[in-house]
Amino acid sequence: MADPVHAEGKTPCPSPTLLRMALGVTYFYFGFLKFFPDLSVAEVLAGHVLTSLSSHSMDARSLLLALAVLECAIGLGFLFNVCLPIVTVLFFLHLCGTFLPLFLLPELTFKFLPFAPTLDGQYIMKNVVFAAAGWTVLSPELRRRYTSE
Amino acid sequence: MSPRIEKLLAAAVVLVIAIGVGSTYERYRGSALSRVPEAYSPSVARAAVGANAAESSEVDAPADAVPPTRRESVAPASGDALAGNAQELLIYPTLAVGMRTPFDLWRYYGRGVTSFGSPAMPMRFEQWMDFHAKQKPALMADVREYMDGRFDFTGEAIPGAHMSGGKPIMKGPISRLPAGVDSFEELAALSPSEIRERDLFPFKPLAHPLQTTAHMLFPEAWVEAHPEHARIDVDMDIPQAYLPEFPPPMFLTTHKELGDVTGGREVTLDNFFEIFDGLLSPEQMEGLKELLRPSPTTWFNHTDHRVTAEPSRGVACFDCHVNGHTNGAIELGPDSRPNLARLRVDTPTMRGNYNLMQLSSKRSIRSMDHFSEVEEYFDGDPGMQQAIGPRAVKREVTNRMGDMNSILDFPPAPKLDPLMRLIPERATPAELRGEALFHGKAKCSVCHSGPAFVDDYLHDLRVERFYVGRPEGPIKTFPLRGIKDSPPYLHDGRLPTLHDSVEFFNLVLGLQLSPDEKNDLVDYLLCL
Repeated sequence: MADPVHAEGKTPCPSPTLLRMALGVTYFYFGFLKFFPDLSVAEVLAGHVLTSLSSHSMDARSLLLALAVLECAIGLGFLFNVCLPIVTVLFFLHLCGTFLPLFLLPELTFKFLPFAPTLDGQYIMKNVVFAAAGWTVLSPELRRRYTSE
Repeated sequence: MSPRIEKLLAAAVVLVIAIGVGSTYERYRGSALSRVPEAYSPSVARAAVGANAAESSEVDAPADAVPPTRRESVAPASGDALAGNAQELLIYPTLAVGMRTPFDLWRYYGRGVTSFGSPAMPMRFEQWMDFHAKQKPALMADVREYMDGRFDFTGEAIPGAHMSGGKPIMKGPISRLPAGVDSFEELAALSPSEIRERDLFPFKPLAHPLQTTAHMLFPEAWVEAHPEHARIDVDMDIPQAYLPEFPPPMFLTTHKELGDVTGGREVTLDNFFEIFDGLLSPEQMEGLKELLRPSPTTWFNHTDHRVTAEPSRGVACFDCHVNGHTNGAIELGPDSRPNLARLRVDTPTMRGNYNLMQLSSKRSIRSMDHFSEVEEYFDGDPGMQQAIGPRAVKREVTNRMGDMNSILDFPPAPKLDPLMRLIPERATPAELRGEALFHGKAKCSVCHSGPAFVDDYLHDLRVERFYVGRPEGPIKTFPLRGIKDSPPYLHDGRLPTLHDSVEFFNLVLGLQLSPDEKNDLVDYLLCL
């Protein structure tokens, strides 16, 4: 498949700055909301999934705070263009986690299985755009760094 | 864009988001849609949780964060050092109906989004069934682990002690002591604040095992006899051995000569006429019929807003108050919102209600007619009636339910004289010593006096002196007459045996009873 970012030449292009910053803003913004109880609309889904993953051994608030830290860290990494190898790992791990409610909580993410998602389900599914955007931003940066090394 | 400008732009964005969200939250909390009370401050709460309890109880929201008039409503009004301790607590987690709740709900507080329930479900009924089919096995495994962590349910019965119908009475205490404490006497030697700071209190509240739906949860013996009340989402968490007998005997003030009028049967709509025709007045018969007639409730009804696999005809008064007593079913006290703040309540017996001036744990209901009326919708949510149908019992009918309620008698107590003192020649030395303690050192008679051993007041034991938790407030004194038939004890059943109850009050009232004195007291309570 042709890579639009690299289509013009053999050397990697600079990452699309606006796309990177947009990802950073979204991650930092939505992550920061989670520091405040009852402010983020993602609390129900995220809280249920995280407590389920922890086998209910930890309280939802602590887990949401951890998620908030993770999302803000990814957001800051994108915004300031720093620690990109770490951001890459965290970003894709986080993205995998965002899809979990589709499997762990289909009752709230699907109006009718398998092709009629709820609003929450659509909110999650559109994260494929995030994945693509993240790859678009990160892959040339990483390639550039490792090529120059 | 140069890297320098890029970094400046990123910093500006971070700053705008941080300040914007922070100030939005200041305005949001306390607003109509917010579950977070206005006085809550996340930074103060985070600092306070886990900190020294005595110190943290004095931590308050910044004075400029809350208008003075609103602060006064949450601040201690009585000079009580522990009232208004919200800053030590966590805000309730955000949950959808049916989702699991923390077992330590006493550590949380907050507002509900609304006081009113809704018949609208967050998912289709088939999904609701699937959701609970997945959740229930893990939930019940965790419930059993939690309860086993708090209680040793493998105990034995008290030799020779039986409930009025013959069921053995279990021995205690079965509440587990915290690590590092070898005996209840060692625990009782510590001060409340020390127990609180070291988190040693073994008698913390019990929550409903699934408090987002909560509602009536029937014990194993009842569900075996009435499978239509088996729930898809959760089962009872206390073993049958520690619950009242089923079916219990039924005694009438008007026919003491008959003893148990049921002949060992559960009174139902099908057999009540045969059992009681010719014994009750027409008004009492009508009242009894109503007490036996199922009505739709919040979660037992014909709609999809239910916790049974099949549509339900509902629940009758006598489904929990079986034979006018109790089968140990639990619910939530209807007097508070949000649902997560409602206290778990056992089903109290209806025996002896004729001698009570106040009814219900928290609501100070003053008449049996009123009691019958308000219990029409146990969750106290008239908003649900449009969807599941009102019970619509008229005043004259609830009066008749009160008529029946007022002849349900306590079980026989052959060792008590007419003034409710032990007849010496019928009592053992231990029972007599227990009686002396009851009226003396143990201070029981301060609240438990008169023919029903009750003072008809609500008392605030302020148990939160011993643990970091939401205060439960005043709760009605329970009558001790016939108490051996009604385990578990305290409003939420956190004291499975009489021995646990004695240990609880020994600690909470600072009685410093010896082990022998505690046993004597239990021996006496078995006589009442």
